[in-house]
Amino acid sequence: MTGNGNQLKLERVPTGIAGLDQILRGGLLGGGVYIIEGVPGTGKTVLANQISFNHVAAGGRVAFVTLLAESHTRMLQHLQPMSFYREEAIPDRLYYVSGFRILESEGLKGIVDLLRREIEGQRATLLVLDGFATTEESASSPREFKKFVHEVQAHAAALECTVLLLTNGSERAVSPEYTMVDGVIQLEDTLFEQRTERTLQIAKFRGSDFLPGRHPFRITNRGHEIFPRVETAFAVPTVQDAYSPRRHSTGIPSLDEILGGGVLAETSNGVYGPTGIGKTTLGLQYVALSSPTEPGTFFGFFESPERLRARAETLGVDLRGLERNGSVEVIWYPQGEHILDELGHRMVEAVRRRGVKRMFIDGYGALVESATNPERMTRFVSTLSNELRALNATVIMSMESRNVMGTATELPSKGLSSLLEGLILMRYTEIDGRIRRVVSVTKIRDSGFDPRLRVFEIGPRGIEIGDAIHGVEGALSGFAREPRVVRPDRVQGKGQED
Amino acid sequence: MRTVLVVDDEYGTVEVLLAALEDAGYRVLTAANGRRALERLEENKPDLVVSDFMMPLMDGAALVHAMRSNPEYRDIPVIMMSAAPESALRKHVDGYQAFLRKPFRASALLERIASILSPLRSSSPR
Repeated sequence: MTGNGNQLKLERVPTGIAGLDQILRGGLLGGGVYIIEGVPGTGKTVLANQISFNHVAAGGRVAFVTLLAESHTRMLQHLQPMSFYREEAIPDRLYYVSGFRILESEGLKGIVDLLRREIEGQRATLLVLDGFATTEESASSPREFKKFVHEVQAHAAALECTVLLLTNGSERAVSPEYTMVDGVIQLEDTLFEQRTERTLQIAKFRGSDFLPGRHPFRITNRGHEIFPRVETAFAVPTVQDAYSPRRHSTGIPSLDEILGGGVLAETSNGVYGPTGIGKTTLGLQYVALSSPTEPGTFFGFFESPERLRARAETLGVDLRGLERNGSVEVIWYPQGEHILDELGHRMVEAVRRRGVKRMFIDGYGALVESATNPERMTRFVSTLSNELRALNATVIMSMESRNVMGTATELPSKGLSSLLEGLILMRYTEIDGRIRRVVSVTKIRDSGFDPRLRVFEIGPRGIEIGDAIHGVEGALSGFAREPRVVRPDRVQGKGQED
Repeated sequence: MRTVLVVDDEYGTVEVLLAALEDAGYRVLTAANGRRALERLEENKPDLVVSDFMMPLMDGAALVHAMRSNPEYRDIPVIMMSAAPESALRKHVDGYQAFLRKPFRASALLERIASILSPLRSSSPR
């Protein structure tokens, strides 16, 4: 606490876990008592230890008291491979003791004495009590248990020590300890068909705002990596969004012409089409215009960086050289079981870290695959786009259509088209007995564009767009045919989006 | 029969060492922390003390210090054990005869005990 006249202001105690501190708006409140709850295996002990080691690294002191029969020696063995583990912290600044036998012999009163002595003796600014549920089991009555929680709170506040109580949780809907403590952090494993997703939720946090809802996390050798749900983390862009009338070239001059000069700067755009049509090629040409002062990122899921470099070479793009001089960064997440919010945060981090101006995301389908709840996708893309736009990035994202040919031109998620400022449509169509690639622009927000369908080819210089199609209709259905009624305006004129 | 006092707050560790030492023919006393260990010393003077470092109420360093300050217990050999490395303990405690980093095999402790006690009396527990 800090004195401000007669008023004591609660100080934040960062957990040192970036995602959790973001969710907590800066950390726990000093001198508060917090429950960390979750069934066995959800990562309570790892989380508490990670916070403890981080607390020590920030100059604090920790007493870690376990009431479980299990040995903390074994626990420390499990922690040793974790990157946050610092052997030199023990025992000087991080002190592990067992209260199991004291609980058995002296009951809750003995534990209160033990906690108070450990806080004082170790000059602890953080106390962890592992096995909190056993204190309730040891209480002779609900009244005694409440008294115990109250006494722990009183000592924590008086000694300005933040307390974490680790528990498997109570079966009761409203437990007395939940009403008494300053906050509750719930950890959960949820099964989605074959895969599980770990989530963290703040059920209660007295005296502070926090990011609501479930936030996914994973446990790696770096400990807990928590990814605040994108829709809440970037509900308001972290920087002020500024409108720019500038255009960014797509790297394909003839496409820029159709777009009215390129895609609008600091916008999110989509390129939609079937597999193999040329979306990735467009992406490579787009990021190829990056420079050290206007860096670009190719954020992909399908082709490995090595394959992309080889492909770029066939298009006359020296991707390796662009990477070497800092113009382009290729980030590749091979398809697997990703966490959607992690991908969102990685994209934002990639843009922030290098001041990225051009970003190609290849592609949207992999993001959908990562979502345990695909219903989120529209809100997710909307929020993420707002943040990337505010960071001055101009994004093009590939979106794969289900059918190689056919009439379906529906975007993969409902409401997606309204979020994108620009939309480029690529299709295969049959003209005169040949399969041809055609491209059209269907949307550039608040701007004119050429709406005509054009045939394009992929040659040694990449995408080369030819003239507008004449004398046929229905090309978007995949099968061009002679027009039933020839209209004089069928091939002429510029379009304006509604 | 020689007596060993095992001092540790970890229930599981005490149980394992108790069984191993009794099987090896030692009489075993136990204490959950340094303060309890001093009480045990007053009741029964052991031939050797095996003590953890991190314990509630009174830690292993304070126990060894109290023992070395008391002529009654000054000469009782002590084996320290800890999950922390010995280098982290040295600045807090001296005057112990051996150190074992947790976790360790019970056989390692038996070997240390034998090597400490044998020069003092016979090579095997009575």
